Amino acid sequence: MVVPVFLLCLIGAIDAGLWAVQTSAEVSAVEQAAMVAASAGSNPTAGTAPDARAVTTAITAELRSALFGTGITSWCVPDPRGACRPDSAQSCPATPAEVQAREGPRVVVVCVSEHDPPACVTPPPGVPPPYPRGCTDSPMITVRVIGFVAAFVPPGFGPGATGFELPADISASTHTLRFAP
Amino acid sequence: MTRRGRRGNDAQAVLETALVLPILLFLVCNFIGVMVHVTVQQQLNSATALAAQSRFQAPNNAVDPSGTRCCGASGAVLSTAGLPTGCRYAAETFYGTMTTYTGLLVWQTGPLCTSGGDSGNATHPQLPGTPYPGSPPHSEVSCDIGSIGPGGVVIPGFLDRTLDPPAGLAVVICSATTKLDFSHTPLAWGVFWTPTVHAQAEALPPPFRQ
Repeated sequence: MVVPVFLLCLIGAIDAGLWAVQTSAEVSAVEQAAMVAASAGSNPTAGTAPDARAVTTAITAELRSALFGTGITSWCVPDPRGACRPDSAQSCPATPAEVQAREGPRVVVVCVSEHDPPACVTPPPGVPPPYPRGCTDSPMITVRVIGFVAAFVPPGFGPGATGFELPADISASTHTLRFAP
Repeated sequence: MTRRGRRGNDAQAVLETALVLPILLFLVCNFIGVMVHVTVQQQLNSATALAAQSRFQAPNNAVDPSGTRCCGASGAVLSTAGLPTGCRYAAETFYGTMTTYTGLLVWQTGPLCTSGGDSGNATHPQLPGTPYPGSPPHSEVSCDIGSIGPGGVVIPGFLDRTLDPPAGLAVVICSATTKLDFSHTPLAWGVFWTPTVHAQAEALPPPFRQ
């Protein structure tokens, strides 16, 4: 009995170490990606999130060095010209299971979304500009790495996992600079 | 082997298992605890670094109008009216990035926005920043930033005297401190320590900003 328990603990410890390495790489990559995305607008007055594929390319090498056996792709809809079409809702997948349903097991996606402030309008009488509140704020960019990473855990471990994978969901947000048109 | 001998071997195996199993589980729990500690430390480093840098996305003289609110941990809301807009940007970035492991973290809070800190050197004492008037006193992240107040009054940021000595250079620093509490997780079985995680990040003003 000692041998199976020992092996179980050994595999658990190896998996924990592997998970820590993978998570560290993801944290580092999303920080780098957030800075890239905050400076990668298509033009200075762009109101949509940067091309997720450009951001993915910038961090793929870093992610690939730690995510053994895990696919890395960007979360976007290609337009007819082959570029990433900005998602009208600019929404990222809510759960790793959503990524698995679309991309398959052991895949993480890089998702970029932008939260823009409301447009400034002429304020009502008696209300000082700018109006509405926060309309002069710079947009906020969020980069998220979400999906399932390869691991040694058996099937049935973790919600939505099909086996030999662990859920991952790391994000980073930052304000970005935009110029008034 | 006699029946008595086999029974003796079985008893020995049970005894060995009973001794080894708790030790193995204890070691694995603590190993996982260390891994979580490392990961949280890295995420805190990342969140404070992005927070410090995002301060520069707001003009120096921008001040939040009355009624402005922002983010906070666990659904709390921070009022940033009258504070530099860059301070709110830093807070929004920090809370937007520090989104995982929140159930494990017990934060040490402080004023959100301070000014006038000094790193100190041989001739100048080290000084903590002074909170801006109206700064939320219990924020998970604290940033020492400079700004331009009403009438063009320059409010100093954090003076790092290791840069451009001895006069120093005004920079932005953001810091956060938290404790990892494993008591509400299965790891509490074997992890009896409560590590403190601290991160401080510094950002230099871009040379060509307004």
